Amino acid sequence: MQLSTVQPVFKLELNHKVTPDVVTIAKYDGTHPCLTASAGFDKIIIHHPHGGIASGRAQRSQAHGEVSELNLSQAIIALAAGPLRPDTGRDMLLIGSPTQILAYDVHENTDLFFKEAPDGVNVIITGFFGKYTETLAIIGGNSSVQAIDWEGNEVFWNVVSGKVCALITFDFDKDGENELLIGCDDSFIRVLKNNQFIAEIAETGPILCLSPVNEVRFAYGLANGTIGIYEEGIRLWRVKSKQNALALQWSGETLACCWSNGRVDWREGTTGIVLRRIQMRANAAAMLLADYRSVGAPDLVCVSDRGEVLGYPPYQENTGFNTASKNMPSEEDRLAITELFNQKQALMVELQHYEANAASGSVESLERPTSAMPTNTRLQVAILHTADEGNIQLAVSTNNETIVRAALVLAEGIFENGETLVRHPQPSQLRSLLHVPLKPPRDVPVDVHIKALIGYPDSEQFHIFELTKQLPRFAMYQLINKEIRNKGNSYVTFRITERVQRICIWINQNFLLEEELDLETEETKELHINLLCLRDRSFLCMDFGPDGQVKISTHDIRLAGDLIQSLAVYLNLSDLQSVAQFPEAENKLREEMEHVSQIGEMRSRLAAETAERAQLITALLPAAQDAAAYDLKEMLNRYKEVVMLNEELLTGCYIRRSTQEQAVIALKSLHTILQQAVRLRVGKYGKAVVAASRKAVQDNNIEALIKIIQVGDSTMK
Amino acid sequence: MDYDLSRIDYTICGITYPDTLKILPPSGQKMDQKFAVGDKNGVLQCLSIKDEEPVVQFKTLPGKPITSVHLACAMGTQADKIFTASGNEVKGYTRKGKVFLSIETALTETITSMCIIGSDLILCSGRTVTYYRDLREYNSYVCDDRVLDIAAFANTRIRLLVLVANKGAVLLENGKLISRTVISSGPSRLAVPPSTHVTDIVAFYGAGDGSIGLISYEDLTLSSKCLVDGRGLGSVVCLGWYFSNGNHHLSVGRHDGSIQLYLMDMEHFGEKPRLKYTYFCGEPVTSVTGGCVGTEESELLVATFSGRIFALRSSHLVTGAKVPHDILTARRAKLEVEVARLEKQTANEREKYQRNTRSLNAGLSTPPLLDIQYELLGALSDGWQEVRITSAVPLDMLFIYCNKKLEMQTDTAAVLSICSSKETGSDLLASVRCQAGTRRVWVKMRDTSDSSAESKFEGKRVLIYALPVGAPRVARLVILKLPALPYYSGHEASEKDFEIPDRVWCQLEIVGSFSVAEMTSWLTEALPGELPRPASIVSFTRSHTLLETVLICQYQRGSATFKSDNVSTIATIRNIVSNCSVEKSIRVEISCEIPDSCCLNSFKNLESKFKTEYQKKKDIILKKAISMLDLDSSMNEEGPLLCQDYARVWDSRDSINETQFDELVETVVQWYADWRTLSVHENYNNETSKLRTALTECRLDDVYKIFSSNSSSLKS
Repeated sequence: MQLSTVQPVFKLELNHKVTPDVVTIAKYDGTHPCLTASAGFDKIIIHHPHGGIASGRAQRSQAHGEVSELNLSQAIIALAAGPLRPDTGRDMLLIGSPTQILAYDVHENTDLFFKEAPDGVNVIITGFFGKYTETLAIIGGNSSVQAIDWEGNEVFWNVVSGKVCALITFDFDKDGENELLIGCDDSFIRVLKNNQFIAEIAETGPILCLSPVNEVRFAYGLANGTIGIYEEGIRLWRVKSKQNALALQWSGETLACCWSNGRVDWREGTTGIVLRRIQMRANAAAMLLADYRSVGAPDLVCVSDRGEVLGYPPYQENTGFNTASKNMPSEEDRLAITELFNQKQALMVELQHYEANAASGSVESLERPTSAMPTNTRLQVAILHTADEGNIQLAVSTNNETIVRAALVLAEGIFENGETLVRHPQPSQLRSLLHVPLKPPRDVPVDVHIKALIGYPDSEQFHIFELTKQLPRFAMYQLINKEIRNKGNSYVTFRITERVQRICIWINQNFLLEEELDLETEETKELHINLLCLRDRSFLCMDFGPDGQVKISTHDIRLAGDLIQSLAVYLNLSDLQSVAQFPEAENKLREEMEHVSQIGEMRSRLAAETAERAQLITALLPAAQDAAAYDLKEMLNRYKEVVMLNEELLTGCYIRRSTQEQAVIALKSLHTILQQAVRLRVGKYGKAVVAASRKAVQDNNIEALIKIIQVGDSTMK
Repeated sequence: MDYDLSRIDYTICGITYPDTLKILPPSGQKMDQKFAVGDKNGVLQCLSIKDEEPVVQFKTLPGKPITSVHLACAMGTQADKIFTASGNEVKGYTRKGKVFLSIETALTETITSMCIIGSDLILCSGRTVTYYRDLREYNSYVCDDRVLDIAAFANTRIRLLVLVANKGAVLLENGKLISRTVISSGPSRLAVPPSTHVTDIVAFYGAGDGSIGLISYEDLTLSSKCLVDGRGLGSVVCLGWYFSNGNHHLSVGRHDGSIQLYLMDMEHFGEKPRLKYTYFCGEPVTSVTGGCVGTEESELLVATFSGRIFALRSSHLVTGAKVPHDILTARRAKLEVEVARLEKQTANEREKYQRNTRSLNAGLSTPPLLDIQYELLGALSDGWQEVRITSAVPLDMLFIYCNKKLEMQTDTAAVLSICSSKETGSDLLASVRCQAGTRRVWVKMRDTSDSSAESKFEGKRVLIYALPVGAPRVARLVILKLPALPYYSGHEASEKDFEIPDRVWCQLEIVGSFSVAEMTSWLTEALPGELPRPASIVSFTRSHTLLETVLICQYQRGSATFKSDNVSTIATIRNIVSNCSVEKSIRVEISCEIPDSCCLNSFKNLESKFKTEYQKKKDIILKKAISMLDLDSSMNEEGPLLCQDYARVWDSRDSINETQFDELVETVVQWYADWRTLSVHENYNNETSKLRTALTECRLDDVYKIFSSNSSSLKS
């Protein structure tokens, strides 16, 4: 499709660079929207075309008359704005730096609050959800989300496995209350309601952006270039591009998508078909919805990283194709004729293919043509466990002497690089059977598309056979018959009131079994199965006792959590409490807690040192300048000192940076363990774990944390 | 863009070869013209257009692929006889479709182009131009390489202008060469201006690199002049003339699917043509020509590779709605019905096909090969070799396999991903997923930088499987051979031009019981592009696109001589020949003559290039550093304050991106290593590392010292 020549309704230059994705539009005086963006490392620019801004910390920019600059001494990671203070209708600016959040009232030039964020800051939004009726600042950190009210008090906190990359408030379950949708870099979209996760949507790459569409739909964009729309938890469509989507907005009944290379396209909501497309002159920095012209309806405001701002009105049918409106009916016919010829051509080619096929069937020639294949060739695909190699294998085979020249396996999220795995055997190894090893890294159901090229070894043309197989969630576990004893004393136990027959169905659906699991009789009350994990050759035992007592023995706390969650969804359990014993996880938790507190100490010590040195430099520098007037030698000495101090400062900075990185990693793994502990429980018990562990972490109470992992609460017993 | 033309689809036919659509001259009083098109199925059809609807005048039965269509006449009348060439046959049709001539020639190769003047027939096939007078062979001429196109100039004498692949143009008369010219851009098509003075011999050419130029014969010499640079444009597939508003336009159809109209000055052919119109149709264009086909006004008639035939007509004519609307609607409805019928038929056949897979008595399914054209181009100075793949059906993906690792690039319309293969070995698996509707795609490949050091014994085999989007569900396999010396893609006239004193030749002599054909096949492992067809004595010259070194090949039955001023080239050819001859178990004797000063002299020739590349490399490092400073000259009026040198780098930051310095260093080190292995057998590791450091730091004196000390120590 060619680029549309649609013209923007307004266009302006900020004369500043703009950091991608750190842009917001806010009404600081309650009525006039101001574009606010990060321009470089620690500079914020505010564009206020509708009149001046109260002088304060913001300085008038020299590069542009209508832009004010605000300098912070910290890197700016995220910007957001919203009417946090309940008593005024004015938007407050929220500035997220790597470890802090500052809420600033631009209009009044006052700080609202200033808060440390030890989990880091990745995204900030403002909004309300659940039972909270006032507007909150919601902050997504490295593996947590928290909400803060206008006075800086923490309203809630929860752990999320993975860095939070996108947040929206959205009524996911249509109960009239907003839920929080969290997009993480571990490729899941999670739905948080009442501080518990009610849904988890597995995607194929880190989630970069989320955007509400209407009451039931929301749009998403991934780091691998996919965008799409979900309706009530079911994906309507998705498309993939080479670029990453920077922002998605619903504007005028179409989904506008802004790609990082500066392209913006408008897509039809239900199908994703591109309706029109424009290209900005530079890479894109942001796309927002705002009534920037004060006309009563929000325009699409696109910002490029060079500071160009373009405004587009909502998409309208008649302006869609620039020519469509003035097209004569005859022109439409001609376009249709061109399209019909395309179809005719494609059909003719296909028909030719079949005709040649029928013709050659009768003629027996001595020499085999280079594109030949027996007509009754079929392709069979089976999935096998290969415990020796620690993976599962797709066995692709034909039913006759033809060979599998190559097999392309397309699946998302199971290969290390890309989404295609190809097997192309050496000429000497061409057989009618080809094994393709698969090793899904996580336990999610995967659709595997197979394209196999079938022919003879010397063929010049091969037939393409296509098949789709679904790998069940727990495909990497192989049923073993022999009795095994789990060495480690790691297990989780809980009680369910469900017939074992239903459990059996769950196992058949979620595991890859050579033959379906059958209960011997109707009266069987208990079930014991042993499985081998192909990833690390560890054992997994599941014992369903006659009294409803269930014991899952595995050393892997994550796997136990996955099993419980899957079972709970299948059996429709609303609450489930469990008792767990995972010494591995407990030890790790101890280590990480220690680590975190150590790093915290070191950080404050380093910060003090840095401040001291910085002060010294500020004193030495004018002294050196003064010395230039009377004693050059003295000046040189002083400058040398400055240089030395500067170098020390730099080293200090490097150390601080690496400790910060360590801290982030330690916190992340701590949160991961806690998240896994939460997943051992369902419903209100899961929530209790979150609340208790938050408190325990704040108190630095390791023993309480371990207790929480074991029994789901620190206060019990 | 001055003209506004819009597209009207007329009809479809089979795959077409270049220049197989011709517009017949108007007959009698009627203004509207008919056109004839021949396709790969061997069908020649003559059509006229009435109210945008094609009316078939006549249509032949399928046969051998029609590779050339020409219009001619008996003396004095209009050129309304249609001649077609397929295989080695030529047929003549009247405008009513009656066959009045059918001859089978003794030519062994397919006729690629032809000319008819009166009762004289000139056919080009392979390398030969054969002249028939009254259907009897009169004379013939064998060119150095394939004949691409021909134009005849009939005056008192008949003279033929012939385009020869990789060589340029030659002018023939009576089977004798009277003049020749070398055109480096690789001309592929000729267009003779429609209204020249009969005495002039002048023609426009379109070239493989996209450029357009003029060939003229004046003062007994043939000369050429480039008029339009090919910069970024696809290679020219066909040329035609379009006459409108009293002006002559050269219409150009290109491989990348674009069609251009250039306004030509018919008084001064040497003037720069002015670009007036561009249209993009998405697949290679095989014919473009102008005529009054649909209306009384002239329009541009286009045929594409896959067989689409459409017109580009002035928009005011289109929107002027000369054609009643209901006719258009009727046409559309008719097509809709036809497509629906085809859909049903296809569904039936598909069903039958599916049923076959379940039947017990297996027949053999032999679908026809997918129509895919491909072309491997020699490397330019950056070392990338480009493969162009053109398909008649839209492609879904390409799947590429090579037994060695390669670097790859592809079109913007496609996504290249290197797939994970099970063996962590040295093979390469890649997939190229195409955008919807892609019919042509290119992939560029080059050796990974680390492989240049290892000696090369053979070319690399690349397998490309092309998978179409829809039916038929078959994948065509294309096998390519990447030569070991991809840079030698420059064709030079003859060795005589290089007998300059400052080149020192290394020579390789091979004697053995091999035939010319065998030597040619061995050389395909080494050299890119097409080699000259075997003849009793073959001799050609190639030049290196980066280093500008030269390779002169000369071979005949039983002996071959290779001369080059690049010692590594000689070493590689030696390896390949010895390797191939062992495989074929043919005994050959190989002897090399390597002058001691070869490295020294070659490096002297390279020196200035080496220095510029070194400077470029330094600039790139500087550029990186400066851009890290986060300067943005657009922010303040006077721009960043930089010293002169830095400012120069900063100002040219968009133009300096890539340097071949590292490749040059590798090459020179390799020269040295090859020279040592070919002339002295001793350990030289120490010297090599010294040489490498001297080169990377650009200490040229030290480099010279190493080269000259070794050649002198050898003498003593």
